[in-house]
Amino acid sequence: MNPVKKQLLWLSCVLLVTASCSKDEQNVTPTDDNEAITTATLTLTNKATPTERVTATIENLNTTADFSKATLNLKANTTYTGVITLLDKTKTPTLDATQEIRGKANEHLFVYTPTPASLLTITPMDRDTNPAPGPYPTGLATEIKTGAAGTGKLKVVLRHQPGSKNGTPTPGTSDLDTDFPVVVN
Amino acid sequence: MRKYGVVGLLSWLVVSTMTAAWAQSGPCMAVLKGRIVGKDSREPLPGSTAYIRELGTGAVLDTSGYFRLTNLCPGKYTVDYQFVGYKTVTLPVVITRDTLITVPVIQLAPDNQMLQEVVVTEHRSEAQQLLQTQSSLSGAALDQTRGQSLGESLKTITGLYSIQTGPTVSKPVIHGLYSNRIIILNNGIRQEDQQWGTEHAPQVDQFLASRLTVIKGAASIRYGSDAIGGVILVEPKEMPTQSGVRGEANLVGATNGRMGVASGMLQGAFGKTLPGLSWRLQGTLKRSGFVRTPTYFLANTSYHETNYSGDIHYQLNKWGIEAFYSQFDTKIGLFTGAQVGSLDDLYAAISRPEPLSQPGFSYALDRPYQAVRHNLLKIRTDYHTAKGGILTATVARQQNTRQEYDFLSFSGLTNPELSLKLVTHTTDLVWEHRDIKTPVGGHWSGSVGFNGITQGNVRQYLFLIPNFRSYGAGLFAIERYASGRVTLEAGLRYDYRWLRAYFLRDGTNQPYNTTHNWQNANGSLGAAYQLRPDLSLTANLSTAWRAPNVADLYSNGLHQSAVAYEIGNPGLKPEQAYNSNAVLAYSGHRLSGEVGFYNNLINNYIYLKPDSVPIIRQRGAFPAYTYTQVRATFRGIDATLNYKITPHLTLATKNSLLFAYNQTEQNYLVFIPPNRSDNSLRYDLSQWGTLSDVYMSVSGLYVARQNRAPAVTTRQQDGQVIFTGDFAPPPPAYFLLGAEVGFTARIGAHPLSVILSGTNLANTAYRDYLNRFRYYADEPGRSLILKLRLPFSVGKQT
Repeated sequence: MNPVKKQLLWLSCVLLVTASCSKDEQNVTPTDDNEAITTATLTLTNKATPTERVTATIENLNTTADFSKATLNLKANTTYTGVITLLDKTKTPTLDATQEIRGKANEHLFVYTPTPASLLTITPMDRDTNPAPGPYPTGLATEIKTGAAGTGKLKVVLRHQPGSKNGTPTPGTSDLDTDFPVVVN
Repeated sequence: MRKYGVVGLLSWLVVSTMTAAWAQSGPCMAVLKGRIVGKDSREPLPGSTAYIRELGTGAVLDTSGYFRLTNLCPGKYTVDYQFVGYKTVTLPVVITRDTLITVPVIQLAPDNQMLQEVVVTEHRSEAQQLLQTQSSLSGAALDQTRGQSLGESLKTITGLYSIQTGPTVSKPVIHGLYSNRIIILNNGIRQEDQQWGTEHAPQVDQFLASRLTVIKGAASIRYGSDAIGGVILVEPKEMPTQSGVRGEANLVGATNGRMGVASGMLQGAFGKTLPGLSWRLQGTLKRSGFVRTPTYFLANTSYHETNYSGDIHYQLNKWGIEAFYSQFDTKIGLFTGAQVGSLDDLYAAISRPEPLSQPGFSYALDRPYQAVRHNLLKIRTDYHTAKGGILTATVARQQNTRQEYDFLSFSGLTNPELSLKLVTHTTDLVWEHRDIKTPVGGHWSGSVGFNGITQGNVRQYLFLIPNFRSYGAGLFAIERYASGRVTLEAGLRYDYRWLRAYFLRDGTNQPYNTTHNWQNANGSLGAAYQLRPDLSLTANLSTAWRAPNVADLYSNGLHQSAVAYEIGNPGLKPEQAYNSNAVLAYSGHRLSGEVGFYNNLINNYIYLKPDSVPIIRQRGAFPAYTYTQVRATFRGIDATLNYKITPHLTLATKNSLLFAYNQTEQNYLVFIPPNRSDNSLRYDLSQWGTLSDVYMSVSGLYVARQNRAPAVTTRQQDGQVIFTGDFAPPPPAYFLLGAEVGFTARIGAHPLSVILSGTNLANTAYRDYLNRFRYYADEPGRSLILKLRLPFSVGKQT
């Protein structure tokens, strides 16, 4: 090997080694989802006896969901007022996504679909401030009427409809799509 | 030895000028004048030379077809009349005192034996000496693609396609392979910009290139492992040698997207004041708004690009040193209609004939978008010796920061969803040995070299690929022997790769890491044979490998824009490719063209296989894909033919056929380019009034339906409809009409090149199988594009 080549080889080796000293990659930062929803809670209050409350919570929605406390145990032929709460527990302190959705009610819509359809009747009780032909429902607050005794599920979908909300679920994309098991006695 | 011929020619031109200056006042006043024409065409051969052996001086045929040798002393001389690709004619001449001697017209016969060598001479770079199948775009052909992205420009070459994510992201595909299976060498440096992602377009400023060369097929030996699909070389202009400041201004405007591109370049050298020093500054600015399909605008398909580069070169005798810095910065809007929260959204979007939201035109660029910046610093030094050849050492640092911003629903945060910073250092040492002549008239050429690479990747926010550190080293040797009609080439390469990925444990957040290493040796054999003066055959056999990259091994996350949950496979083995190809090239009087055949067998071909069980996350169900390995074959034909109907009218046809198959599962592979045929009729006029290089052309591109795609099947799973193979069947075949007019006009002393082209002139609504957004919207409609290029000089030139 001629001397020039040898020197260059040395130079390149030295450069390669010194250049790669930075070890940034060894400091791993935890996963951070801007808009994780970890927890969805439905709180139902019996309209006739407001002390009677039913809550159902799904945890770990953003990974493998935990449905152990997710079942809604309701009375047949009863009217409840319903409230939904969404939390992001990956943030410190825990972030209440419901508040942010309420702030952007004009582009969000909660869609509740019971299976079988006769199990529950859900009516949204709130309105956004979209101009005519609005306002449209948002679905953060609802009235839920149970039918005859039975079991099934309640699908809750949060639609994000920026600039396209028209009162139907069609426009936009889903931010949340999950099922609460329902038992009506 | 043709290379030295050119160097020699240049040097005796210099000598001849100097001799002329020195001899001005002497008694030698005779002038030798003449014409040199080609025996085949009877046309003058501009650039051919008349060289007086005894005086070591010569002259070049000027554009009017004459050469003049002045200030000759009386005597008997031997004159060589020569031109590249023609047989040299040697004739004696007698000069008498003070006379003008006009020699009879010299006719040079084409030298067919030298045809193979001519190619080598013309292509100065080492890359182009390789016998690998290659095609390039330069000069007028490259000018026609100005203003387009690299991926789109290269589509004009047979065997090349592009995989797109809407109208704003386009990645080159060679013979059906893309992403990490292609190496892009930008200005000699292996581009490292997270190219594993199908929606990650290469960060290369097309205006930097004076030539785009594509090596089709496995070209690992010279350019490193991974290149099992091919190599794309983006080669800049040669640095200037003439003193003074020169430049070039490019302007491109398009009606669709109301796109505007401005690119400028300034370069200079200092001549005798500072010999050997030259510089270049270059910058490009590109803005585009919403792209329009024949019937509606595609919301948020705006595009911003801001690039600049600087190059400084110093040549001192045998030493040359160059420093180059470039920054490429883009903000790429993604079509909002393709944003789906879940599989249900996807199915709803697919079933809609048109996007729901169809706003008017705007330059707005909001979420979802990608913001990517690529910086490159390169320092190269070379050492030339007549005996030893050329030794080149290059070190480079690249930093790629990629930030992907998804649609935000409620949080109003300004963070990206994905942030990746990849820093790459490369070192290359290449020794290209001197051409060695053998006693039997053949000659040897070749090179040996070392490539070193290390990368560090740092991620933030969502997890898609982990942090990692990698090292790679490769040693190669390529030798070529050319004699008469035959050129033979053989290459060998050894590679070592090391990869360590860094993670946090679930729950405890304890750091841990995993390490891989691979090594492999590969080889290639090539031969070129000049069957007839107008017919040549080139064949290659090569092997290549690709170590699994970090995305193949450790992806684990929701690929929102792909509506897929991608799961890596740490047990993957390296891909091993066996590539063979043959090209038959014919260059007749009226008909010319080439037909290439290729067969690429890849063992352990890595691809995303649909899983049977969908993954359920907060937004609903997503199909899951796991990286799997199969034995795959890619076979095809590239055929280009040009036929001169009249001296001015040319019919050209470019056809690319590709047949890819998953041999292990006895099924087709997804996202394989369908067959295509691009035909054009072109009329050329060298002069029309005051305009020169006038041409007009009409073209028709036919792209077949991809019938060799996995069947789309559906089934029920947990109350969800799950598609396998693909989400929708391939779109129908389509035909696009295009037209172009171009000419060069003189603005003072400067030639202004003008090209006006129209794409999709019939405003056809169509969808392309290789566009990942084909489920949601049509391709762009009609567009008229005006391209202006003006070379200029600043101040007084010497």
